[in-house]
Amino acid sequence: MNIQFQNISKKYKGKYALKNFTSSIENGVYGLLGANGAGKTTLINIFVGILKGDGGHIIVDGKSTHEIGLDFLTYIGYLPQYPRFYRSFEVYDFLLYIGALKNISNLQAEKRAKELLDIVNLSDAAHKKIGALSGGMRQRVGIAQAMMNDPAILILDEPTAGLDPQERIRFRNLITKFSGNRIVLMATHIVSDIEVVANQVILLKEGCLIKQDAPDVLMREIEGKVWLVSANDNNINEKAKHMKISNMFRENEHIQLRVIADNKPDATAVSTPPNLEDVFLYYNSEGEQW
Amino acid sequence: MVRLIKYELRKHFLKRSILIIILIFSVINAVKIQSVYQGNSYLYKDTVWNEVYWQLYEAYSGSITLEKIDQLLSIYWPLEQQTADLTASTAMDNPNTYTGNLYSDFYLLRDYYVRPMEYAYMYRYNANEIVRIAQENMDFYSEIGNEYKYLENEIIAERFSGRGIDDFAYMEMYQYYLEYDFSALLVLLICLYGLVGVFVSERESDMDAVLLTTISGGRKTVIAKILSSMLFIFAVCLWFWLLDFALFSFSFGSLEAADLPLYGLKNFENTALSLSMGQYAFLAAIIKTGGMTVVGMAFLFISSVSKNALIPFAANLTLTGGIILQQEIMAGSEYVLAKIINPFILVSNSELFKEIEFINFFDTPILSYVAAPLIAAIIGVILIILLLLTARVNAAVGR
Repeated sequence: MNIQFQNISKKYKGKYALKNFTSSIENGVYGLLGANGAGKTTLINIFVGILKGDGGHIIVDGKSTHEIGLDFLTYIGYLPQYPRFYRSFEVYDFLLYIGALKNISNLQAEKRAKELLDIVNLSDAAHKKIGALSGGMRQRVGIAQAMMNDPAILILDEPTAGLDPQERIRFRNLITKFSGNRIVLMATHIVSDIEVVANQVILLKEGCLIKQDAPDVLMREIEGKVWLVSANDNNINEKAKHMKISNMFRENEHIQLRVIADNKPDATAVSTPPNLEDVFLYYNSEGEQW
Repeated sequence: MVRLIKYELRKHFLKRSILIIILIFSVINAVKIQSVYQGNSYLYKDTVWNEVYWQLYEAYSGSITLEKIDQLLSIYWPLEQQTADLTASTAMDNPNTYTGNLYSDFYLLRDYYVRPMEYAYMYRYNANEIVRIAQENMDFYSEIGNEYKYLENEIIAERFSGRGIDDFAYMEMYQYYLEYDFSALLVLLICLYGLVGVFVSERESDMDAVLLTTISGGRKTVIAKILSSMLFIFAVCLWFWLLDFALFSFSFGSLEAADLPLYGLKNFENTALSLSMGQYAFLAAIIKTGGMTVVGMAFLFISSVSKNALIPFAANLTLTGGIILQQEIMAGSEYVLAKIINPFILVSNSELFKEIEFINFFDTPILSYVAAPLIAAIIGVILIILLLLTARVNAAVGR
């Protein structure tokens, strides 16, 4: 499956939330990365039809979503940001309801719900009320409901936000499990999630597409631009004043600064291999100031 | 669609809180109905009266015959004379009376037999008189060329023609049951509570976004919500109307008079309906349910355009107060259209059926009880269309 976003734009009160977003994606996991307000959720909402764009087209295998009509919804599975679902529903019944909404026969829905509960490791909680689940379990219900129709496109909006590390790892593994032979578009500002699971990163800044490529390509692009600078409590204020700092950590008396800079920022600076967080900061932010 | 309706019912109505409210309100309703009986029927207040009434009932119930009337008056007139100068004994130990006292006998016979039977006996004459006057009016309006007034009188003449009350029965139960509106208020409050979250809860649980991305989550779900809300309203109405009937029958201890014509009740002497009290009770329940459905659709519409539960709750409460107040203000008014445009008149509907009233529809007189459901139906359809039109659609597919 191929999806082309052509000049997707959206304005709120005269300000662009998304500006002429153009991209093409095929089967694989895509991490939609950007700071808060970069336009990630706006793009997803336009894609799934919750929001009407001000311009542009979304083309799926050569046909616009309008041309495809309601059938387009059979292609997608969507997990919104911070879903609460129906607190009084049992997990299994909730999935059956989603099956009904997705026009899946009762028999098929029952089969699919059991399969998915098994995959997301919630079989034991099948008859628990959703209101009684932990945040992580609820997110797993969320991905299971999105997968009920075995969609060709799985869209996840900030799926790991608020989860504890163990649940985050579990959820990332689920994404990998579900990513076979489909497009997974995952919006997040948690870089490590994307680093682990995404085949491609779509970098957004202030509603504009900055970069789209594989994580290692993006990292390679900023090779030689990430530095480790050594400082101490006496000179750190002076040293760090004008640096874009990606990370800092203390080693006994020394403070190691991870700095993003096009040129060697300090005489003591040593080049270090970039990671995706560096890429994100390189394109997205002014960096952490001391 | 059936599956969607089933889930909508589960989501919004098959909730413990709603069932508890229905239970509590049912108990309140039972207490209220018992208080209606206790507060209004002398057969409750005085057990001797109750006993005597039902003893005499054997003799005087059924067909009203001259023989029965003569027999009744042969007891009543002497009592009337004996108590006229208010000098009879007030002691309750007179062995030559039914109840132990002449006054007590007199009032029992007067209020429970003579006056009702007199009303029934005279009704035929009064109805004929109305027909005669209506026919005279028809001639008059025909002469002066007032077609509209002619048609009004023609309907009146036709409706009152051939009317008569041939039987006598205990009617207290129907008298109070058919004008009992307290349960309608309870149903209204239950519907308000139940319907207020039908749309808003989707937003509050973030399910509105998920719904929009599914094939049946858009307009189909809105239709399922409307239909499940209707089913909820029907069920609550049915429960309370049956409860009313059962509790009134139980409290008053009678199912008598179901076959008597509605105009057998003094308060309905000018009704345009020629139904029996039992038939009217059934019709009134249907009309009430219809009215409640229209009001329910208004609640739903407000819920559908609101972002959180507080706003529609406050707005629907205001709406409820508004329609009740409007009906109170318009009760007995000559502005028939202003009165019947409020769908609540169907909910508390005795006002609609007590008198013959018309509205002028392009110079054709339409009976108010015909026009009111039609107007309510139009309002209901408009609300349903608005619900469908304002329902969010998936922007990506335009549906």
